[in-house]
Amino acid sequence: MTTQAKYSGLALAESIYKDRSAMGRELKKSGKHLVGHFLCHVPVEMITASGMVPYLMTGDMRRQTTLVNKHIETIMCSYARSTFNAALEGEYKVLDGLVVHHGCDNIVKLHEIWQGNIQQPYLHFINVPHVVNPASYAFFMEELKTFQKSLEIYTGRKITEADITNAIKLHNKNRGLVRQLYELRKVDPPLLTGAEMTRILVASMTVPVDQANVMLQDVIKDVKARSKQPLPVKYRLMLHGTEIDDSAFMELIEGLGSYVVIDDVNVGTRFFWHDADEEDDPYHALTIRHLDKIRDARTIHPRAGTIEEDLDNRFGHIRQFASDFKVKGVVFFIMRFCDTYGFDAPELKEYLKKAGFPVLVIEDEYNINSIARLNTRIQAFLETIA
Amino acid sequence: MAEPSIEKTTAKKSTETSQKVRPLVKKMYADAHEAQKNGTPTAYSFVASLNDEIMRAMDVTPIWTENYAGLCAAKRDATRFLQKAKSEGYPNDLCTYALCGLGFDAIRKETGEMPLKSPDGGMPLPTMMLGTGMMVCDPRYKWFQSVRRYFDVPYYGYDLMWPAYPCDLKAVRSYYTRYMVDELRGLVAFMEKTIGRKMNWDKLSEVVDLAEKTKKIWWEAYDLRKAVPAPMPSEDAFNTMVPGFMYLGTQTALDFYTELYNEVKTRVDNGTGVIPDEKYRILWANGLPPWHSMMLLNFFESLGAVFPIEVNYRPFEPVEIPAGINDPLERMAIRFIHEWTEWYERADQNTHVPSVELLLHWIDKYKIDGIFMHRSFSCRTVHVGEFNQLNILKKYCDLPQLTLESDMVDVTSYSEEKVKTQITAYIETIDVYKKKHGK
Repeated sequence: MTTQAKYSGLALAESIYKDRSAMGRELKKSGKHLVGHFLCHVPVEMITASGMVPYLMTGDMRRQTTLVNKHIETIMCSYARSTFNAALEGEYKVLDGLVVHHGCDNIVKLHEIWQGNIQQPYLHFINVPHVVNPASYAFFMEELKTFQKSLEIYTGRKITEADITNAIKLHNKNRGLVRQLYELRKVDPPLLTGAEMTRILVASMTVPVDQANVMLQDVIKDVKARSKQPLPVKYRLMLHGTEIDDSAFMELIEGLGSYVVIDDVNVGTRFFWHDADEEDDPYHALTIRHLDKIRDARTIHPRAGTIEEDLDNRFGHIRQFASDFKVKGVVFFIMRFCDTYGFDAPELKEYLKKAGFPVLVIEDEYNINSIARLNTRIQAFLETIA
Repeated sequence: MAEPSIEKTTAKKSTETSQKVRPLVKKMYADAHEAQKNGTPTAYSFVASLNDEIMRAMDVTPIWTENYAGLCAAKRDATRFLQKAKSEGYPNDLCTYALCGLGFDAIRKETGEMPLKSPDGGMPLPTMMLGTGMMVCDPRYKWFQSVRRYFDVPYYGYDLMWPAYPCDLKAVRSYYTRYMVDELRGLVAFMEKTIGRKMNWDKLSEVVDLAEKTKKIWWEAYDLRKAVPAPMPSEDAFNTMVPGFMYLGTQTALDFYTELYNEVKTRVDNGTGVIPDEKYRILWANGLPPWHSMMLLNFFESLGAVFPIEVNYRPFEPVEIPAGINDPLERMAIRFIHEWTEWYERADQNTHVPSVELLLHWIDKYKIDGIFMHRSFSCRTVHVGEFNQLNILKKYCDLPQLTLESDMVDVTSYSEEKVKTQITAYIETIDVYKKKHGK
């Protein structure tokens, strides 16, 4: 019996999260072709349109990264190192290949190193502008078409514009369902925890989007029907950072008497908050989603007015989330050796403090043993915002 | 914490032409101060970002910020700036070029004046800042965004993307070139608006001509370095790159490399080497140099080893611009994309790693006995991937390898004693290797 036949809703999400490899193998056995992707700037709609399944690349925070040391320097971010380590251990044998986007130096380098070391039939790189100028849109649309061609060559199947539009609709539905889940965290106490949310999102980024949508609809029903509501706690928090794809960090924070009710991370609002316009030309719609709508540290938009107005343009969505979800404080988790978020941290901290949100900045590794030591710092932060 | 002060951190050079570099560096900052005094425009900028010719054509004086951090390191006067940046909330492991610059600007804002005794008089406040989104180097577009915490001048960011390997270059080259040209056109428009003056396109064409001539003679001068004994070592090259990276598009740079070419040619013709008894030829295969301790290259020489060539800060083989292309921005873009993809086709046929392809070519061309890399802990752009390069290289060539770890700016990561022990052992390994292989 398959996992999806055995479970539904929350139980299914938890089951997939617990053993993603098993889910991957099941999908492969059923004839699906999986393509890995990192962070939040691969237009996953294109993979879906090709008939393959976008599959989130994660590391393994709970495992020692020993194999990677022979291949990658310790000055690379630990998320990228951990993911490569997992690949060396055979975790991603289930994939047909990988799509890497130009996220940051770490990911660009990972693409370079992946090539000679991990044998997979498909590999493609998408360049994403760092700076959004008028010419950047046309360039990204060309990159989407090059990506489309590479998928067509690999699958031997033509992708039509209608295929892409249909995929956009499916992924918009997916994002809409995730936003409904976020709404369930607006109430006090929230109806599901941050740790649960992380597990649900990772699970939904493991299976085909149509299956994820069925699962998410059931998850919403399950959450709404919960007989035992979570207990109220003093602290509603927001989490800001790069890659938080393991619930361990959320569990640590929430274990200290708080709830993470909203986030600004890749496996979170950054990936799920914004739709692509279904009525638009599909290439243009995806371009607008990635260059204009998704706000993150690796993309610079033209300056908007005064310095204060420009800060609003860069960080206003984070302040808005904090305000809408009534958080009492914001925790930054900045991965060591992450230049993009490292540069933003001091300015964003000042900006949020000015808006009345206390901030705790944590610089650490993508590793469970490392974050377990943060207990005291988080506790002290919670006391200061009490 | 004060930096360990020693008498001399710079390396002793071999060529006379390289002695002319230090005055050129001093002149860069003097020119920038002079421009500020006269009210003419200046720009915080990054080298190798296709802005040189545009700035020269528009009479904008560049202030090369990364290189100022290198200067502070060479003067052993970077720690106070690094510490200030960290106290401003920037993580310890960010690029130390950027941390040094941010610390410098933070101190200037706090005190309201140039940081005391800044090397070469410090960097004057610029009229504008030009950041670049490149295939690699995140600090190049993030740093100047952060600088706006300390002063507010117009900022322009522009992308310089080239296709990642592997790719079908024929299929993508035209739209990559078009994007680069459009981005440069945007840069020109921004500068015109900022300084209130139009670009003189004929002048830009002349400057690009000058830059191309300069790049050609620079490459030809370095090509002579394949001679045995090596006529010019890497410690000279880490100096003689200054005109090519910081004065490109000026007569000064062209004259400099013409003189360098003549000197190196004479040395080759006369059989003049860097050291009297050259025993080992080592390839500087990757790494930003430790600007705070360049004298360590002379230590290699004391053991009979010389660096005939280096991967970093090298000129590229001249590019043939297709006939009929007269737009100077398009010429610049074609040249730039070619430079960054020139090893792709050869890699397709052999190692499938363009950077390793270059190393293999040079090992043969420069008659190399050993491979050396320097790893700067704060820079992912240049240094992540060294293990991989060395692992793949090993499959094709078993020359002894050494990687030293420190940083390009932060001297606290450097231990002279440890480094010398490592180098000594490495030279012994090369010696054994050469004897074993009858070299």
